[in-house]
Amino acid sequence: METYFLPLDKFVPLLLRLIEKYEVFIPTIEQERPHFHRFSSEDTSTISFEHIRTVEPVKHFLFKPIESVASFDKPLEKGIKPQAIVGIKRCDLKAIEVYDKVFLDSEFVDPFYKKRRETTILISADCPQPEPTCFCNLLGLNPWVDEGADLNVTPVRSGYVIEPLSPKGEAIIEENKIWFENTSPEDLEQREASRKKALDKLKEINPDRFKEDLYERVNVNEQKFCLSEASGCVECCGCLMCCPTCYCFLLYDEPSNERVRIWDACYYAAYARVGGGANPMPDFTSRFKNRFECKFNYFYKYHGFFACTGCGRCISGCMGKIDIRKILLKL
Amino acid sequence: MTIINPYESLPCRLTEIVEESPGIKTFTISPKPINFEAGQFAELTVPGVGEAPFTPSSSPFDNDKLEFTIMKVGRVTTALFNLKPGDLVGIRGPYGKRYPLEKFRGKEVFIVGGGVGFAPLRSLFLALVHNINDYKKIYIRYGARSPKDIVYKQFLPKWDKLENVDILLTVDVGDETWNGRVGVVTVILDEIPVDFNNSVAIVCGPPIMMKFVTKRLLEAGFSGADLYLSMERNMSCGLGQCNHCRVGELYVCKDGPVLTWSQIKHVREPFV
Repeated sequence: METYFLPLDKFVPLLLRLIEKYEVFIPTIEQERPHFHRFSSEDTSTISFEHIRTVEPVKHFLFKPIESVASFDKPLEKGIKPQAIVGIKRCDLKAIEVYDKVFLDSEFVDPFYKKRRETTILISADCPQPEPTCFCNLLGLNPWVDEGADLNVTPVRSGYVIEPLSPKGEAIIEENKIWFENTSPEDLEQREASRKKALDKLKEINPDRFKEDLYERVNVNEQKFCLSEASGCVECCGCLMCCPTCYCFLLYDEPSNERVRIWDACYYAAYARVGGGANPMPDFTSRFKNRFECKFNYFYKYHGFFACTGCGRCISGCMGKIDIRKILLKL
Repeated sequence: MTIINPYESLPCRLTEIVEESPGIKTFTISPKPINFEAGQFAELTVPGVGEAPFTPSSSPFDNDKLEFTIMKVGRVTTALFNLKPGDLVGIRGPYGKRYPLEKFRGKEVFIVGGGVGFAPLRSLFLALVHNINDYKKIYIRYGARSPKDIVYKQFLPKWDKLENVDILLTVDVGDETWNGRVGVVTVILDEIPVDFNNSVAIVCGPPIMMKFVTKRLLEAGFSGADLYLSMERNMSCGLGQCNHCRVGELYVCKDGPVLTWSQIKHVREPFV
């Protein structure tokens, strides 16, 4: 697709144009890690495209950790504002594909997810410096974006190569045409070089591949499956909460009659417990295995791809130092 | 544009509450708020407390009312038991798959229930009776803890008189009023008078009963594809999204709640 060059000093003006219509979130560095940050006209923080994906998964913007979804005796008032998320990496875009399958490609379309999805602009960025926890290449992804976003940004020399990937993205360029220039062959060469460098780095981090029939291999005997690796797990569920593809939720009703939807996680002991108290997943090994079956077998059988993006959040967030790659490679 | 919100419950009113046995009541809602087919379930809300999944116990062909026979086991059911006729409840559904009654046509239908598990089976039974000539014969095998724990006592003699219906009961522990069989439900499964090549079995009850009845019915000669099992899981959303009701790769709320043995036999502990 056509590409444009945006000079370095024009990116903030572009963001200022976007906040006229959208709540804009940009990646910035806080305590040495990338986090999403709400951009405002008084903002002096520096946008960072150089890091890997943010600490927070992108699901926060489309599927709130906790929110009211119905009210028994009065209409539910819901202010869903248009938003623009800037700096999303390839792994998190793949996670949105997982969410789309669950909440849009379903007999029951989730109205809140749908509304947010329709009113959200996704501005992605290449991932120039993969870290030791990254393994998107093992899931068939590249550390750059050529689909799934509205616009993609690649930092080069004194600016950015911007590639529109959807009609929404093209419209943003059209509306702000005066700032965009044509890309030079050097810009595109630089983009290629940066992409290749990132991919080489990923191959160096992850020299081994998962086996072709991984989806069947996760169904093996429970004891064999996880005793060695699960031993460090303290069941904090951090890996599941920060996972961009985990979408489990629980509904409960408040005394005020509001129905609340809250993120849930299958490592919690009471996750599957039924009314009478019986628990289909009473032992931790069955819950530990469930996470793998869910992402690499069940989701694959339903939708044809894994519900894992190789973002590595579960590895960097694990206080038990469990590395999902080691488990998957051993199967 | 109207946004369809699948989380919203329809307010409706309880009109009658009947005690079936200690700890089990039948709640009637009328007018009928939603339609359903035998096998499907709905999420019932006690306002301000929460919701839980139940399969109706009334006939899907009853156009006037919806009934649920419910055992008091947890938070929502306890709150439900404190309600009175005239009180407001909420309902959303129906969810899940219906029984494939067209596959039962011309066959013997062998129904095995335990305790409050008879509730969804009553709905199925009434749906079968609605077109009773479509089926070769209907058997009911039902077990309860004691004579006073038997549900639908007022209906059982009437159903037993129907032509082509054969009912046999057992209780774990009898008393002075009881002349029937004594022992867990498998004691009335020693003899299964059906042609296994032309029959289906449907089972609903507590997990331990499901486990042993399934084993017995398979040994007796039912094929896994003809053995329909009513599964219990934590169906929080009912929409096939929240993930809590997984049995292997299947969702009990979407693919069930009735699954055949063939569908779940690879699961390590399907009955819990």
